[in-house]
Amino acid sequence: MTDEPIVLDETIHQSTRLRIMTMVVGQADSDRLAYGFIQQTLDLTGGNLTTHLRKLEEADYLVMTKEFVDSKPRTWVQATPVGRRAFTEYLANLERALNWQPNA
Amino acid sequence: MPNTEQEAAALPPEQSWDAIHATMDRARSSMYVAGMESIMLLWGAVVALGLLGQYALTTLAPGFATATPWFPGPLWGGLTAAGVAASAVLGHRASNEKAVGTAARRAGIRVFFFWLTVASAAFVIPAAAGLWTADVEGIMIARVAVGIVALGYVLFGIMHRPVIAAVGVGFALVFYLSSHLAGDAAPAISAVGTLVVVALGSLWIRGSNNR
Repeated sequence: MTDEPIVLDETIHQSTRLRIMTMVVGQADSDRLAYGFIQQTLDLTGGNLTTHLRKLEEADYLVMTKEFVDSKPRTWVQATPVGRRAFTEYLANLERALNWQPNA
Repeated sequence: MPNTEQEAAALPPEQSWDAIHATMDRARSSMYVAGMESIMLLWGAVVALGLLGQYALTTLAPGFATATPWFPGPLWGGLTAAGVAASAVLGHRASNEKAVGTAARRAGIRVFFFWLTVASAAFVIPAAAGLWTADVEGIMIARVAVGIVALGYVLFGIMHRPVIAAVGVGFALVFYLSSHLAGDAAPAISAVGTLVVVALGSLWIRGSNNR
């Protein structure tokens, strides 16, 4: 085990953003999730979800695109390569944190 | 679940790990039940049409029913084929409203083949058991087929949404109770009961989706 300190990405290490990233990164590279699907699955209010999505978008972890489907506006959310790398790193660090033992 | 930055700082790694797994499970299940509320209503209508059609032909045209005792086969076969095609369209549309890409497509294909297997089994198993003969009463085939379809609902519900399992149990109860207790009116009573059960299940799913 390495002696490097375990640092969990603060942008991801927050309950709601962690669950958003899990959903978005859990898809294939080109997959997009509907805003409404994320909101419904995570049982969030629109305002709460938007706040966290913006924070993740500012970090370049995901992109949001808007388009009209059958004349209705729909927002899609997709993970960026930067976001995928950050999440993979987060998982590796989380695993280290789970296995960490004092004086090991 | 904590939502603020301060609470996040105290988010223990174990909780993060659990949240990741719970979210993955929930997202997958949500994708699998895409359009289920509409598809359940559709199948309620298909079953009701089949039962009412059978009831109408045997009571209003007994001569035809006696001359062609095999008529339930084509009737149910046609209705099932139409139901499977319509379910595929409904499921595809509902899935596209949730996600676009490989994961949604794979989930849709798996669900489609699950129900196609259940629908096929409802025909094939009675045939393999030798029930599709003139000597066996049609109701015997229906009892086996309904049991298989109800089992499909229960298994799918256990995996993804318990209310779907409850619909399967309700559907079987309505059918078996009326077929044993309601005499000649059993198909009509089963049809109405099935519609009530699927409507309640559909409303429940819609309500839980909107919460």
